[in-house]
Amino acid sequence: MHRSRIPATLVGGLAVAVALLGSSGPVEAQGGTIAGEVKFSGTAPAPKVVKVNKDVEVCGQEKKIAEVAVGAGGGLANAIVSVPGAKGAKPAGKAVLDQKGCEFRPPVLVMAPGDLEILNSDGVLHNIHTFSTANPAVNKAQPKFKKSMTEKFAKPEVIKVQCDAHSWMLGWLVVTEAPTAVTDDKGSFKLENVPAGKHKVEVLHPILGKQTKEVEVKAGQEAKVSFELKK
Amino acid sequence: MRGKFLQAILVLVAAFVVFKFVIRPPMPFSLLSLYMAITLLAVLLYVSSDSDSWRAFVQPIWATLAEPGWRPLRLALGILLPVLVGYYAYSQAGATVGAPLELRAIHPAPPPTISFRGKTIDLQVTDTPVRKDAVANAQNRAKHLAAGGAVYIQNCVYCHGDNLDGGGHFAHGFNPAPANFVDPGTIAQLSEGYLFWRIAKGGPGLPKESAPWNSAMPAWEDRLTEEEIWQVIYYLYATTGQRPRVMDAGHAVLPREPAAPSVASVLAPREAAAQAADENRGKPVYEQKCALCHGASGKGDGPAAERLLPRPRDFTAGKYKIRSTLSGQPPSDEDLVRVVKAGMPGTSMPAWEKVLKDDEVRAVVAYVKAFFPGFKEAKGEAAKVPPEVKSDEKSIARGKEMFEAIECHKCHGQAGRGDPAPGSDLKDDWGHPIRPANLTKPWTFRGGPERKDLAMRLSTGLAGSPMPTFFDSVEKPEDLWHLANYVRSLGPDRPSWATFLTVRPATGDVPSDPNAKVWRDLPGANLPLVGQVIVDPRNFNPTVDMITVRAVHTPQEVVFHLTWDDPTPSDPTKGAPKPDVVALQFPRGGAGGERPYFLMGDGGKPVYLLTWRAGSGVGEATAAGIGKVTPQTGEAVQAKGEVVYEAGQYRATIRRPLKTADQADFAFPADQFFPIAFWAWDGGEGEEGAKAAVSAWYYVRLEAPASKRQFVIPPIAVLGTALLEVGLSRWAQRRRGGATQEPR
Repeated sequence: MHRSRIPATLVGGLAVAVALLGSSGPVEAQGGTIAGEVKFSGTAPAPKVVKVNKDVEVCGQEKKIAEVAVGAGGGLANAIVSVPGAKGAKPAGKAVLDQKGCEFRPPVLVMAPGDLEILNSDGVLHNIHTFSTANPAVNKAQPKFKKSMTEKFAKPEVIKVQCDAHSWMLGWLVVTEAPTAVTDDKGSFKLENVPAGKHKVEVLHPILGKQTKEVEVKAGQEAKVSFELKK
Repeated sequence: MRGKFLQAILVLVAAFVVFKFVIRPPMPFSLLSLYMAITLLAVLLYVSSDSDSWRAFVQPIWATLAEPGWRPLRLALGILLPVLVGYYAYSQAGATVGAPLELRAIHPAPPPTISFRGKTIDLQVTDTPVRKDAVANAQNRAKHLAAGGAVYIQNCVYCHGDNLDGGGHFAHGFNPAPANFVDPGTIAQLSEGYLFWRIAKGGPGLPKESAPWNSAMPAWEDRLTEEEIWQVIYYLYATTGQRPRVMDAGHAVLPREPAAPSVASVLAPREAAAQAADENRGKPVYEQKCALCHGASGKGDGPAAERLLPRPRDFTAGKYKIRSTLSGQPPSDEDLVRVVKAGMPGTSMPAWEKVLKDDEVRAVVAYVKAFFPGFKEAKGEAAKVPPEVKSDEKSIARGKEMFEAIECHKCHGQAGRGDPAPGSDLKDDWGHPIRPANLTKPWTFRGGPERKDLAMRLSTGLAGSPMPTFFDSVEKPEDLWHLANYVRSLGPDRPSWATFLTVRPATGDVPSDPNAKVWRDLPGANLPLVGQVIVDPRNFNPTVDMITVRAVHTPQEVVFHLTWDDPTPSDPTKGAPKPDVVALQFPRGGAGGERPYFLMGDGGKPVYLLTWRAGSGVGEATAAGIGKVTPQTGEAVQAKGEVVYEAGQYRATIRRPLKTADQADFAFPADQFFPIAFWAWDGGEGEEGAKAAVSAWYYVRLEAPASKRQFVIPPIAVLGTALLEVGLSRWAQRRRGGATQEPR
């Protein structure tokens, strides 16, 4: 996944504290929320520097690819946190994946089974090449004049997406009906509308693997859980 | 009695017709002339049997020559004959020289024993160790067959082919051609001991008395154990169904191997058609024909797989390149049947059409489909390719415009030669490196070179590879056809290989610039280059598969112009680890006599090389074998040249004086055939030394400038014939005492 280097000015801890203490979002009678953070223990590996070999006017001269993106304070970004098995509310709005600056934005996209709108904001040839097995594998070209196209992903699956024209581009599609969230650059996440009861919460990172924890969700309340992944 | 002359003519004509068109097989010209001469003698003897008959025979001839009434015929013949003679003289004066004959002895007598890795092997053995073991029980048979098959598919298939018919991937590049084991004239006529000798000792082990050779057959003694060689011999006989010759009739008769059960042989024809699609019927076909590459479990991991590029398909993923269904959808049954029957050009997948019957093909397709459970649920939706657009100038221009607008050139290169931007590491869905197609070589297209195939490929994409579908991604639906028409116009659907080269004479200065007009106006001779798979380290997947040669010579020097495709220019002075290199090879000892071994000669017969190396330039060298190359340095190098690289293609000129003072150099003889061979290395793929693309020996000749003979001799011949006719006719008239004094 691609992450641009963030200046180490933000105090990650303060932000985490705010996230933990505050509770945002509507309180529903049936469900609760699960919030928390995912941390990476150990020294974060340095991002790989890839020299851009085509379309430099759009992509830039080089790309820094951080497969394990760790922010200040040890928060692990772009990890997928979900409650497998539970049924969550449909995310609002359309699922949109954009190719901008020769990167997939967002690098990890959570969507309900259904249509995905794929945009090419770059004006150069990209192709959407998915490595899906439950859903049909897609490899469609998107030249500059095809600014938007729609693909259907009907089955729940975590799908790797790449562009063959630009080999450093890597994205993930999480097609799921379960409550799912992606950790931000501080490593924090919030799962909303989780049905009350005992649940297994799972965090998945493409490189670091999976971890599961048990949590009990009470209606209208926020349950806390945190994870620590290591290499 | 005029009939006598006519009779004679009729007999001669009838004889000619019978000799030339009725007697089969056709007889050579020398025999035909002999028979016609005998017939003519016989006719003359017959007509001269008595003076009356003779007079009757000769009378029409006299009449033609002397009679006034026959003047029109005289005139007609008088014009026709000199014209024919003039034409014959013209064709003989400018006659081209044929290539030199190559004599070859077949099946030299083998020695009774050979030494193999220090052990003495008896070649006259009837029951080889493996065969003795195999006839004992079926398990041993299966074991030895599998082991022999693995040896074959890893080593022999490249020349001798998947179907054991001498039609391997590299077969067209070697001379003599690899043996066809299916032909009843090869292994069926030989004993297993003979085969052991040939396999162990190879081309270099052929007897000197029966030279000249230049066989590409490697000596496997260093790479295969004794058991492996006996096993692959067993595999050859078992798979082709032939039986080896046995030295002594008194020896035990070998049991005939049971043929692999074919679908048709097991069922009655009607049942066969109905049940052909049953996957279980396909299992024996798959195991005998497909498993060696595709693996017993269909994962593309058979013994051959690690040396093949592209690798054999992994059927368990359900992803197929050549389909008629939309992107992301499984192929139709017809798609798979088509690929099995037609093969995939440019890959190791052969065309099974001539080997498998229709019901066998359908059965094996059903078996292959079973490797991917997804076939049961989904049925591919056919891609609706828009209606065909004819290929014309406008369509091709639009196609070229689209080629750039949708940026095909980013992977396939500006000129379509499959040269993506440097640093691109294109991989297939299994993580193996994959090369974009060279669109100037349609004969290598996996799905066929026809325009409709191209339009279909653009519509469906090639699943499992980076090539996406452009079905919805073109400005107008017909653009798919415009693109197909443009791509198809980039190259011929079949390469036309040259058999020998003629270096034409040039007047004036020959430019060194490889892009000069004079080079573009010359027709090029295409020669195939194949992987060097004889000596280790072997090159199973060479980058360069063809070289186009043009050459001219002046009285002082010869200039060669070479063109070859290489997707990655590799120059050590610009950071590449290994350089791209090309070499022309000549025998060092002079043009005549037996040629050196085509792989850089040997100690007894070394070769001379004209080389070009990226970063170092043109050079000369001598070699006494692969790895024993001695470059010439400094003053000794008189060869010069220039090289340009453009959009995936190298163009080089290499020039050298015809004769140099250096004794080690090859002196180019005038108007005489001499051997030439070619080498190419793609530094970007780590090719160097033995890991190369190589050609067989070809013959080349420096053509002498067109002599004036062609324009001087024919008129003289015509004039001479006319004068002869006049003289003859005049003499005839005087003989007859004719009253007229007409000149003719």
